[in-house]
Amino acid sequence: MTQLRITGGAIHDPANGIDGDVRDLCIDGGRIVASLPGDAPVLQANGMVVMAGGIDIHAHVASSSVTLARRLLPEEHTLDPARAPHVDDGTIPRSGGGGTVPSTFTTGYRYAGLGYTTVFDAAVAPIAARQTHAELDDTPIIDGGFFALLGNDEYLHRQIAASEMRRATDYAAWVLKSTGAYAIKVVNPGGIELWKRNVREVKTLDDPVGSSNVTPRRILEVLADASIELGLPHPTHIHCNNLGVAGNVAMTLDTMRALEGRRAHFTHLQFHSYGGERGKSWSSAARQVAEYVNGHPEITGDVGQVMFGDATTLTADGAVEYLLHSSTGRKWINSDIELETGCGIVPYSYREKAAVASLQWVVGLELFLLSTDPWRMVLSTDHPNGGSFLSYPDLIRLLMDRAYRDEKLKSVNQKMLAGSALADGIAREYTLNEIAIITRAGPARQLGLVHKGHLGVGADADITIYSRDADFAKMFSTPRYVLKAGTLVVEEGQLRRAPAGRRIFVQPGYDDALLRDLGKYFESYSSVQLANYPVTGLRDTPVATRGG
Amino acid sequence: MSGSARIVENAVCLGCGCACDDIAVVVDGGRITEARNACPLGLRWFGDGALPGAVLGGRSAAIEEVIGEIADILRSARAPLVYLAPDLTSEAQRASVAIADQLHAFIDGVTSATASEGILAAQRRGRAGATLGEIRNRADLLVFWAVDPALGYPRFQSRYAPDPAGVHVPNGRADRTVIAVDVGAQRGPNDADVRIQMTAEEESLFCASLRGCLAGRTFGGAPILARVTELATRLNRAKYAVIVTDGESASPTAAPSMRASSLIALTQALNATTRGSLCTLRAGGNRNGADTVLSWQTGFPMAVDFARGAPAYTPEDATLSRLARGAFDAVLLIGATMSLPDTLTGALRGVRTIAIGPRASESAVDASIRIDTGVASIHESGIAFRTDDIPLSLRAVLPTPRDTASLLKALGSAIAAKGAVA
Repeated sequence: MTQLRITGGAIHDPANGIDGDVRDLCIDGGRIVASLPGDAPVLQANGMVVMAGGIDIHAHVASSSVTLARRLLPEEHTLDPARAPHVDDGTIPRSGGGGTVPSTFTTGYRYAGLGYTTVFDAAVAPIAARQTHAELDDTPIIDGGFFALLGNDEYLHRQIAASEMRRATDYAAWVLKSTGAYAIKVVNPGGIELWKRNVREVKTLDDPVGSSNVTPRRILEVLADASIELGLPHPTHIHCNNLGVAGNVAMTLDTMRALEGRRAHFTHLQFHSYGGERGKSWSSAARQVAEYVNGHPEITGDVGQVMFGDATTLTADGAVEYLLHSSTGRKWINSDIELETGCGIVPYSYREKAAVASLQWVVGLELFLLSTDPWRMVLSTDHPNGGSFLSYPDLIRLLMDRAYRDEKLKSVNQKMLAGSALADGIAREYTLNEIAIITRAGPARQLGLVHKGHLGVGADADITIYSRDADFAKMFSTPRYVLKAGTLVVEEGQLRRAPAGRRIFVQPGYDDALLRDLGKYFESYSSVQLANYPVTGLRDTPVATRGG
Repeated sequence: MSGSARIVENAVCLGCGCACDDIAVVVDGGRITEARNACPLGLRWFGDGALPGAVLGGRSAAIEEVIGEIADILRSARAPLVYLAPDLTSEAQRASVAIADQLHAFIDGVTSATASEGILAAQRRGRAGATLGEIRNRADLLVFWAVDPALGYPRFQSRYAPDPAGVHVPNGRADRTVIAVDVGAQRGPNDADVRIQMTAEEESLFCASLRGCLAGRTFGGAPILARVTELATRLNRAKYAVIVTDGESASPTAAPSMRASSLIALTQALNATTRGSLCTLRAGGNRNGADTVLSWQTGFPMAVDFARGAPAYTPEDATLSRLARGAFDAVLLIGATMSLPDTLTGALRGVRTIAIGPRASESAVDASIRIDTGVASIHESGIAFRTDDIPLSLRAVLPTPRDTASLLKALGSAIAAKGAVA
C-alpha cells in the first residue's frame, strides 16, 4: 500500500461537513490519514472535485437470478462486447458481455470506471448464496455484499404462524450467518408465496398467507424487529407489495405506517408511488410518499429511478413479471425457488412516447426533488430494472440542471402528467454536496458502513476525482481518477488497475436450539442437507453486530 | 468396515444432474469401499476413487515445466479450442474460461453437443421453471414427457417427486397425479396413473393443440383431440403442474426437434390459469456449472468465441462443425474425457490436443500431453450446480494434491507471463 497526497482538489465530504473546501487528502495503507511525510508522492487535483467512492445501495449484479438474466440476453451482449482493459498491475484482465446485465468482470470495471467502489446486490436466494460469493469474486475492484431474501420463506412463515418470535429472529440470524449476507431483504411480503399458490394479488397487509396468523403485516413487523434486535448495521430492506401497479401508493403508505417508529429501508420507491386505480388510471403519488418519508426520520429510502432506454426487469417478485410478460409479449423467465423465494425476468424498454414510462420517470424525479432530507432518499435505478447503472450520470444531470430537466420533460408523453408536481414546475437543483450525499455519504449512513462514504481520518481510501464540466452527465460519467483502498484504479480516465474487492457481510449470533427444530424441517422438506447449506470459506472480517 | 475406515457424510454425487447430497462415503485404505444412499449410477460414478497420477508426453516429468510447455503450445497456436468435459468443479470451469479469454480462443463444452436445444429455446422464449425443492413440496401433477427418470436419473422420483411428502402434498405420492407421455419409443415411467401416447410425428401438433386447448381453443384433428383434452383438463385442474423433460439428447447428431421450444411455450401458457413449471433434466458431472460459469463470465452459456478479444456467441457454429472444417490448431481438453460423445472424440483426431483431467493418461482421445487430475466432489472440493442450477458445496472425499483449478490457474499465469494476445 502506497502513500499518496491528493492536493488542490475541492473536497465534497458532507459527512464531515466539508462543502468544496480546497485541502489536502492524505492516504496511507489504504486508509485516509491525518498527515504524511513531506516527501510523500503527490496527485495534483487542482480545479477538480474530490468525493468518496460511490456506493450503490440497491442493484442486481451477482446472483443466480442475475445470471439467468445474462443467459436470457445473448442479443444484448452481442451488441455490446467489452474487450479486456489494459491493466498494468499484474492481474489478468478479462473481456465480457455488456448490455443492461453485463458479465461479472465487465460489471466491476464499469462500476469502477464510473467512480463507484461499493455495490450491494439487493436480492439473493439464500440457497444460492454461494453462487453470489463466486460471482462477487469474479467482479473486480468493487467491495460487495448482498441482502438475503426472507419475506416468503416457509420456515419463517411457520414460526410466525406458531408465534415463535424468538425462533424467527434466530432463523433470520442463521440465514444471514450461513449465507454471508449483509442485511435482511423482504420482497412483496407473502406475495411470492401467494403467487406460487396462484393468488396473484395482495389486496391488504392483512391478507392471509396460508395461516391467518401469517400476513404481510406480520412478516414485515417480525423481520423489521429482527434487524433491530440483531443490531444489524442496515435495517430490513423492503420492497413493498404491489410493485408497479396503479394505485399502489395506498399499500406503500400502509406499509410505512405499519412499521412506524421502527428503523426500515424502503427501496425503489418510484415503483411504489402511483395514484389512480388498478386497470383504470395512473397518476403520480410521489408527493404523498416524499412527505411521509420527510416526516419520519426513522425510515430511509432509495428512489429506483426509471431512465429512458433499454432495461431488464429482474426481481424476486414473480407475479409482477408475469403481468409484464402478458402485457408486452416479451420473453419471460419465472423461477420458483425452494420454498424460499422466487424470480421473474422480462426485458423491457422505457420510451419517452409511452405514457406509463413517462409517468414513472416523473415520479422518480419528484421523489428526489420533493424529499427534504437527501441523507434518507438516495440514488438508485434498481439496476437493471429502471435502467443500467451506466445511466447514473445522466440522472445526476437531471437533478443538478433544471434547464436540462425541463427541456427533457417537454419531450415525454404528457398524458398522465397533469397535476404532477414536476409538470407544475420544481425549481430545485441538487448541489454537488447533495449529489455526494445521495451517491455515497447517504448510502453509507443507511448501510451503517462507518469507514465508507466519507473522507475523514480512518475512512477507506475509496476516492473519486472528477474534472469539472458544465455538463454534469459528462463530468460524472468519466472520473479523472478513482482510488480503491488507496490503489489508483483509474488514471487520466483510463482503468489501470483491477485489484480484488472485499466482501461486506455480517455474522450475527443465534441460539443453537434453533438447529434442532431446523434440522427436523430440513429432513422433512429440504432438497439439500442442513450440513451442506452454509457457505464456507468466507474471507475478510465481518461487520460487527450485536452478539455476532 | 475396518478400524482405519472413515466416513464422509453429506457428500455430493455428480453421477447425474440430481446431485444428491446425502451420500455417506466410506473410505478405507485410501479407497472408497461404500457409497451409502447412492443409486447404481451413483455407485458406478464414485467407483473406488482410485485414479492414476501420471504426467505424460511432456519433455519433462516435472509438472511446472510441463505447464510451461503447454503455455507455449497454446500461446503460439493460431486458433485454439478450450473444451470443457464433465466432472469439473466450477472453480476449474472459471479458470478454464479465463484461459480461453487470455488466448482469444474458442471455448465450448458438452452442453453444445448434447443439450443446446433447450438452452437456445429458453433464450428465445424464457422459461417457467422451479427448483427441485419447490417441485418436491408443491407439485400435485407431474407429467413425465418422453422421459423415465428411472433410467438416467434414478433417485429423482424417490428424492424429489413424486414419492416424497412435501409441505403442500403431505401424503407424498398419494397427493400427486403422475402422467406418462410416451412419444414413440421414448416412454414415461411405468407406474404412472395416466398414460398418454403419441407418435413422434404427432408430437408437434399435439403440443400446439394442447396450448390452444389450455387457452380455451380447440384445434387439431379428431385422433389427437381426446388425448389433448384429457391432458389439458388435468393441467388446468392442477394447483401446481410440473412437466419433466430430458434436456440431454440421445445423440449429438439427432435431428433437431421442436420439443424443447414447445414444452417451454406450454408451461408458460399454463401460468395464465394455474401455476406450472418445466423441469429439464441434465446429465451429471456439473454440466450446468459450465453453462452457468460461462454465462456469468461472458454472458453466453456455450460456444463462445474470444477471437476478436471479446466474447461472441456462435451456437450455430459450435465445436463439432468447427472441428469438421479443421478450424483449430490446438485443443486444451479439460475434464473427464471418458464422458465425451464419441463423435467429438473422433473429430479431435489429428488436432494437437492436450488433456487435463481424471484418467487423462488412459484417455481414448489422441492427446500428445496428458495430465491426470481429480474428479469434482470425489477428489476436489468446490462448487457444482444441480440440474435446476442450485449451487452445491462439494467436499473432497479423497483429496489429491493435484487440484484441477489450481493447475489451470498456474497455466493461466504461465500464459500471462508470455504477454497478452494482440
